[in-house]
Formats: sequence, structure tokens, C-alpha cells
Amino acid sequence: MLANGQFGYAALSSSEPAALKAAAERALALAKGASERAVAKFGTELRPATVLRYETARKNRAAYGADILSRHAVRLTEAMKVSDKIVQASAGFETRDIVTQIVSTAGADIEQYAHIIGLGVQAIARDGNVTQKRTLNGPRGRTLQGGYELIDFERSLAEAKVAAEQAVELLSAQDCPTGKADLVLAPDQMMLQIHESVGHPLELDRILGDERNYAGSTFVKLSDIGTLRYGSDLMNISFDPNVAGEPASYGADDIGNPAKKEFIVKDGILVRALGSLESQARSGKSGVANQRAQDWFRAPIDRMANLNLEPGKDSFEAIIASVEKGVFMEANRSWSIDDYRNKFQFGCEYGRLIEKGKLGKTVRNPNYRGVSATFWNNLFKVGDRSTFQIYGTPNCGKGEPNQVVTVGHASPVCAFRDVEIFGGEG
Amino acid sequence: MSKASELEARFGRACDLLMGELASGESLSVEFAGESSTFMRFNGAKVRQIGEVDKASVDFKYYRDGKTIASSVTLGGNEAEDIERSAHALTRARREAALLPEDPYQTLPSAAGQSKESFSGRLPDATRLPEEILAPADLLAKAGADYVGIHSQGPLCRGAANSSGARHWFATETFATDYSAYLPNGKAVKSCYAGRDWDGAEYRRRLEAEKPKLEALAKPEKILAPGEYRVYLAPDALNEFIGFFSWNGLSERDMREGESAWLALREGRKSLSPKFGLSQDFSLGVQPRFNELGEVAPETLSLIKGGKLVNTFVSARSAKQYGAVSNASPEGEYLRSGAIAGGDLAEEKILETLGTGLYVSNLHYLNWSDNDSARITGMTRFACVWVENGKIVAPIKDMRFDESLFNLWGDKLEAVTAKRSLVVETGSYFLRALEGSLLPGMLIEGFTFTL
Repeated sequence: MLANGQFGYAALSSSEPAALKAAAERALALAKGASERAVAKFGTELRPATVLRYETARKNRAAYGADILSRHAVRLTEAMKVSDKIVQASAGFETRDIVTQIVSTAGADIEQYAHIIGLGVQAIARDGNVTQKRTLNGPRGRTLQGGYELIDFERSLAEAKVAAEQAVELLSAQDCPTGKADLVLAPDQMMLQIHESVGHPLELDRILGDERNYAGSTFVKLSDIGTLRYGSDLMNISFDPNVAGEPASYGADDIGNPAKKEFIVKDGILVRALGSLESQARSGKSGVANQRAQDWFRAPIDRMANLNLEPGKDSFEAIIASVEKGVFMEANRSWSIDDYRNKFQFGCEYGRLIEKGKLGKTVRNPNYRGVSATFWNNLFKVGDRSTFQIYGTPNCGKGEPNQVVTVGHASPVCAFRDVEIFGGEG
Repeated sequence: MSKASELEARFGRACDLLMGELASGESLSVEFAGESSTFMRFNGAKVRQIGEVDKASVDFKYYRDGKTIASSVTLGGNEAEDIERSAHALTRARREAALLPEDPYQTLPSAAGQSKESFSGRLPDATRLPEEILAPADLLAKAGADYVGIHSQGPLCRGAANSSGARHWFATETFATDYSAYLPNGKAVKSCYAGRDWDGAEYRRRLEAEKPKLEALAKPEKILAPGEYRVYLAPDALNEFIGFFSWNGLSERDMREGESAWLALREGRKSLSPKFGLSQDFSLGVQPRFNELGEVAPETLSLIKGGKLVNTFVSARSAKQYGAVSNASPEGEYLRSGAIAGGDLAEEKILETLGTGLYVSNLHYLNWSDNDSARITGMTRFACVWVENGKIVAPIKDMRFDESLFNLWGDKLEAVTAKRSLVVETGSYFLRALEGSLLPGMLIEGFTFTL
């Protein structure tokens, strides 16, 4: 409900008309009670009269039953038992059909049908005091939007076996060396790098201070939009809700703003923040269609959706060949960044040394740390479309009350100069 | 009928339907969670978002012929609608369970106890929250600080039941004003006023008490070089570590499957300081003792005593799978109502004993950085200050740490405060949290900062 420029909401899971009416009256009372102390005065123009229907593009619409999926999950765990050193082999499928309908007195009538398919595989190997873990592209990284064509039984069996073999391989690998080196990141780690050090700092509600009591603020200021050199010339970041298969694709956000592709960072310069219509009204800055809610029981706020790094020109082989001394890291396993989104430390599951332009020995416990803008300004190679991969996570947390949403991140392989790398302990 | 009673009625209706329609050979365990909450989010002492949420659901497990399946039903409060949803979920569970392979470690619910706890509260009128919560923040504005955070309030309910006759109910009515006050230099104090009975005068007194802290934070910041520093961790900072007894933590399953970061403690390869102790203690009164199977945990469970691991969390499932003895942990085998043992450092001696070093009020975004060595990385946050000769000198530029818990709570643990504080969990993913921990402060020698 909107009253005197202030929104008030009420959430319930009943379709009883009397309950709905009473809830609307309470939302109206809350809005009126808060309007004298509103952070901004909003109008109906922030709830566009959009009429659309969105549905995930799918090839295979017919669902597999619990019998087929459970049987295959068991087969995946059996495929991972490649050694008596495997102490955990776990696998699971996730299928979600999410129906959202938005209507408003302003004229919006939006129906969205999102179909999510996820595959989770994890192998843990142990030898003496050393344990190592390998997954398929990090925790729940294989969360995609699409039909049942995304479940490829034979391919996943082969991938699960490789994951387990690599977990065992890591047991006897040397620790990642310590020092400054060039860092090459696979798309399943670039996902996390984009998410934490580009996506969150550029959420307009963080720039406006809404998140300071919980997720935190940002080093980016309103005055930086249009001028800040965020990264090297090779850095091109887009907000793109229209990438087939990417998990946070949609037709409109949860206040009815039609979604379209926008560049956020162009040739290394910050050109636009991730701000919804409400944040745009408060800041006077342009933004994107990203006011999203976790579910019916939370009010929408500024979120990432699909946030991608555009492909560059180099093949994987050319990127590796350009590195004299470095490490190639795959699949996120540890993530931490400060509340201004500057000082980060990330860890990966699997690493390979790069020496004189060639991939070398496997290393375990590969970690790196840095400061966001410095790191992105050291971006010196961006892979071509052949290296571009799509991932996502259903676990992006933010907001008060807390909300968790699905986000997508697609990226090519990338290389960064002079990064502080290190390994484990003992 | 109070809102908590109405939520209890929803739980009862769902249980009656689900249990009443069970056929021979079928078993069921039911877990209920519900709330009726008002949320007011604020920034700059102004309302950003305000609304209310009425939310209730039962998660149940259905067991038949060695098959187990989990299901969930949202209960909106309309009797006919809720009964129909419950019946539909049971129908689907029966159909899908038949498709599954046998569950070799299935444990049928057998607990049969019953309990009921209900705590009413005195909460502000929801439509007057903007005035009640934000008007007192004027005194912070006069000190140059910007008030940001969230106020939440209303009844929270949990229930559990099973087909062996267990039936448990826990209801409490609480509020939490979780706030920060930011200075223009980006430094801030963070706190939370939480409880059952709202006291506006006490709330204003707490805000008033933030003013001298803000004065200390207004000084030019001190930039520390990476290295080892003498550190005092306040209870709020220590609270950020509590989750690491659950995530890759003291679960029996995680120990057996190589996922626990505490394996070296279990196997005697590492030990903690004799000063370190941890227990699960439901006498804190913040959350119920029953789990999703209707089992009731002992009031206290010692986990680490004198630096040695003495118990892990053992669920009925792990007990069956590994031949261990269950201590009525939930299947997720996580810490509830944690309590870290107090020591002998007097509150008024903290700064003097710290001498020269870093007073850490809060930490941020912690994560395991090396599981095998129980190493954790994270950031300092909010009112962390540099202390020289027992006197606060300046706020610090936030630092990243990377340190093994075996060091932190091992040789580096110098002292633990005698006084402990109840730190209430204010998280609200899916539901407002019903948790809290009893925590001391800790003095650490040689805490490692890296960036």
C-alpha cells in the first residue's frame, strides 16, 4: 500500500478475502504511521503498469520422477568411490518451479514462471591428517535456469568421477606457494570474484547506506558513477537478465520494472550502479531493473541478478602462455570481504602452477587476497567466448529482514597481475 | 485469541490431519515454525521500509517401508485451506516415498514426551514504531551520528510432534532493535536492544550510552601494519565464531566424513587451552530443547572442557549409522544455545590487562580459510580501537585476520573474562531467529592480521 509517499506491506499466505482485506488495512496503517518519518517520498510511477509474461526457455519440460533422480544420485556417489581415501561422496538434484504473479492498482499484470535445475556433487578425500574437497564448480555453482535437458546423466557421472579423482590427487599435491604471482581464474571462481568485489559494492542501496547495519557499505560513492576507473580497459561488466540458462533471468523485477541489458562497467569505467526505481528516485542516478524479493514474505530491495563479465579476445591457451610465473585456480571454497568491499580473501578447491607459459603441477589449498579496485585494475587478460561459462548461486544473502536470492554470474577465464597468493598451514 | 494461540491452533490442525490420517505401517514427525512479525527498517533515522509478515509452516517427514521423505506445508490460518494443503502434502509424500530407494539409516520417531512453554511480552504499538524507535535517535544526531538498522517484533513459535505421541510447543513474544550509529568518518557503534518487555526509557538510556563511544571514534584513525597484535575480543566479536562449531563443526557426521575442521581436536593431534570450555546450555531460555523428531535434549551438554573435546552432536540418524549414542541433536547436528566458559578477568581490568593492543568490538564475514588447520579469516568492523597503556587512543582502519582457532584458543589465549553476556541472534532468513549464546570476552596474545 502507498500512502503519503510511503509504502507499507503485509505478507500472508491465505487467499481468504477477509484476511487479505484486513492485511491491506494494516499495511495502509503502517504506511500512514511512517509517512512523517519516511526516508523519501515515493509515487505510483515507481510501480510501472507493465503487462508481460515470462517463462524460462526449456527444451525438455517433462519432469523426471523422484525414482529416477534418487537412483541417479546414488549412481553419482558410487562413481565417486574411486579410492578408499574417499570418506564422503554426496550428490543431489534440485528442481524448483517458481511462479510469481504481480498485479497493481497502477495496472501491472505480470506472470513469471522460472524453472531452476541444480546439481550438487561433493567428494571428500582423506589421507592421514590431510583432507581435501572437490565439487562441481563450487557449492551449488551448478544452479541454472532451464528444462530437464540440463540433467545429463552420463556426463554428470564422468564429471563426478573426475571430481573424486582430483580430491584424491590433491591429498599428495604440494601446497600453493606463498608470494606475489600472476593469477588465472576459471569462470567458476570468477563467479565469486564478480559477485563480491563488483556486484555488492555497486548496489545502489548500499551506496545510499541502507545496508550499513548488516551486510555493510561500499567504497563506491554516488559521485563515482560515470568517472571511477574500476578496472583495466579490458573490464566490461553487464547486468543482463536475458542470458539463456543463467539462473537470475526474468522479464521484470518484483516491482514491475521491465528488465533489459545494461552495462555497469564499460572499458574499466563505472557507468551505472545496480539501483532499482526506488533507489534511482532517491539518488538521481540511472540504474537497472533489480528490485527483487526472496519470496512472498519479504519486501523487494536492490539485488544483483545476472551480472556478467563480457568475453574478451584470448583463448585459454593464449592466456596461460602469457604467464611467466603464476597459478591457475578453479572452484570457490572460501570467501570473505570487508564491509566496504575492499579487502578480500578467497580460496579455491584446485590449483595448477603456471611456469613459463605452461600449466604445471597441481597445488592444494590455493588462496589469494587483495583489494577490489586494485585487483581489477590488474586485469590483463580476458578470455574469449570459448572460455565463457555460466554459473549461479541460490545463496546470496542481504537485507534487513534478511533475504536470500538466486543470482547468476557468467564469465570467461581471466588473468590478473601481481596477486598475493598463499596456501594452507601444516 | 492471541496471535501465538492462533498459530498454535494452526499447528494443532495440521498435526490432527496428518496424524489422524496415517495408516498402519506409516510414521510421521512434524516440525512447526511460525511468526507474526512487524519489521521497520530505517536509515538516517528515517523509515526505509515497514511492514508485517504472518508466516507459519510445518515441515514433516513421512516414513513407510524403510522409505523416508521430507515435505513442507505453508499454513495461512484459514482452517479449510490449511487442512486441504496438509492433506495434499501427505498424499504427495505417500506417492513419492514409494518411488525412493530404502533409507538404510532410517530412524523412526520414538520419543513420546510432551511440553508447553509460553512467554508473553509487552511490545510497542506497531503503528507508533516510527515515533517510538526513531525519535530518541535525535540525541545521536546531535552527536553527529546517523542512525541505521531494523526493529522487529512479534510472537515467535516453534512446535514438534510425532506419531509416537510427542507434542511440544514453545511460544515467545520478543522485540529487537538492531542498530548502528555512523559518524561522517565512516566509524560506527553497533548494538542491539532485545527482550520481551519493551522499556522506552531503557532504550533511550542505551542510546545515550553510545555517545562517549562515538566521541572516541571521531578521532583520526590509526593504520596498523599486518602482523601479530595483542587483542581483546568483546562478546559480540566472539559471537561471530559461534557458527564455526556448527559449520564444518562438532557434528558427529562431519567428523566421520572428513568435513569437520575440528578433526585434530577429536584425534588428539591438537588441544585448546585449559581455559577454553564450550557447552550447549538450554537454561539460557532463548530456544526450546526439542528437535524435529520430538526428542528433548539434555539441559546442558558439555562439548569442550578444559581444552579437550568431550562430546560431539549426535543425531538419532548418526547414532544408527555410526553406532554412537544420540544426544537428541537435530539431524543437522548444530550448536543450539551455546555457552563459552567464563574465566577470571574482571570487567574493569580489561583495558589495563590489554595494555597496548587492539580492542575488537565486532568482526565481520568470517569463513574457514583452511579446514585442516581450523584457520579462519575475517575482518574487524565497527568500534574497534587502538589501546595504549590501558587507554583508548584511536579507532583503527579495519584489518583482515587469518588465524587458526587452535592458536587463538590454544597457546595464544591469555585470559577469559569472568562476566559473560547473552548475545541474542537477530538473523531473519526465512524466519526471525530464536537463538542466543552466553559469551565472555577474551584476551589474545599475538592475533595474526594479514591485510
